[in-house]
Amino acid sequence: MNPNWAEENLQAIRTLMERSAVYRRALAPIMLFAGILGVAAAAIGLLCHLDSARQFGGLWLGTAVLAAAGALLIARQQAFKDNESFWSPPTRRVTQALWPPLLAGMFLSLLPIFIGGGDAPSDFNLFATLIWILFYGCALHAAGFFMPRGVKYFGLLFISFSCGLFYMSFANVIPTDISAHWLMGLFFGVLHLAYGAYLYLTEKKNPVA
Amino acid sequence: MNPEPFLQLDRAIHEKGRLGIMSMLAASPELSFTELRDALEMTDGNLTTHIKVLQQEGYVAVAKSFQNNRPLTTCSLTAAGRKAFAEYINLLEKIVRQNRPR
Repeated sequence: MNPNWAEENLQAIRTLMERSAVYRRALAPIMLFAGILGVAAAAIGLLCHLDSARQFGGLWLGTAVLAAAGALLIARQQAFKDNESFWSPPTRRVTQALWPPLLAGMFLSLLPIFIGGGDAPSDFNLFATLIWILFYGCALHAAGFFMPRGVKYFGLLFISFSCGLFYMSFANVIPTDISAHWLMGLFFGVLHLAYGAYLYLTEKKNPVA
Repeated sequence: MNPEPFLQLDRAIHEKGRLGIMSMLAASPELSFTELRDALEMTDGNLTTHIKVLQQEGYVAVAKSFQNNRPLTTCSLTAAGRKAFAEYINLLEKIVRQNRPR
C-alpha cells in the first residue's frame, strides 16, 4: 500500500471541498479591490463636492457597478487559474443570495425620488447611504451561508451599524447635513480594506488548500 | 506503523465515490443530484447507489421537490454525517502524522 495514501486522500478531500465552496482565495483581492474603490470614490465625492442627490447617486452607483464588475473578473481569473468552471453551483448560489437584498436596497433608496416626482428630499444622501449599508449587509449575510463564516459576520456588522445609525438619525443625534461620502467611504472603503487585509494575512498563514 | 487508526476508518465513507460525495456536501449546505453528478463525474446509477449507502448510514439526507415543474433532488449532510466526516478526517490526519519521518 502506498504510504502516502492518507495524505493523498486528504488532498483530494480539500480539492473537492474547495471546488464545492466559493473561491475563498479570491475573496481577499475582491475585498481589497472594493475597499480601494470605496475610498477613492469617497475622496472624489468629498474633494469635488458631489453633494447633490444626482451627483451622489451617480458616483456611488457607478462605483458599485465597477466594484461588481471587478469582483466578477477577479473570481473568473481565479477560477481559470485553478482550472475550475467560473459559473459553478456555489457561484450561482452566492449570486442568488446577493441579488434580492441588493435590488431591494436600490429600489428603496430611489423610492423617495420616484415619489417626489424626480426631486430628491434634502436628506436623500444620508437616507440612501443607510439603506445601502443595511441591504448590503443583508446581502453579505445571505451570501455568507455559502462562503467563509466571516462574511456572515461582516454582513451582520453592516446591519448592526446601519440600524444604530438609523436610530441616531431619527433621534437627531447625528446631523443630517453630515457628508454621506464619509459614511460611504468608511463602510464601503475602509471596512472592506480592513477585511481584505485580514483575509489576506490569515490566508497566507493558513492556506485553504 | 500502528494499524489502529486505519482500522477505525469508517468503511461507509472510506470509498472514493462516497468520500467525494461527503467532501462536496461538507463544504456546501446542500447540493442537487445533478450538481454532485457533474462535479464528481459519476453516472446516475453510480451516484444513486453511493447516496443510498450514505443515506442508510444516516449520513446524508435526501429531499425531493420541484423546481420549474421539474423534479429536484437535493442532498445534504446530516449532523451524524458531519460528525462522521470530521472523525474520518481526524483519523486520516493521525495516519499522516504517523507516516511522517521523524
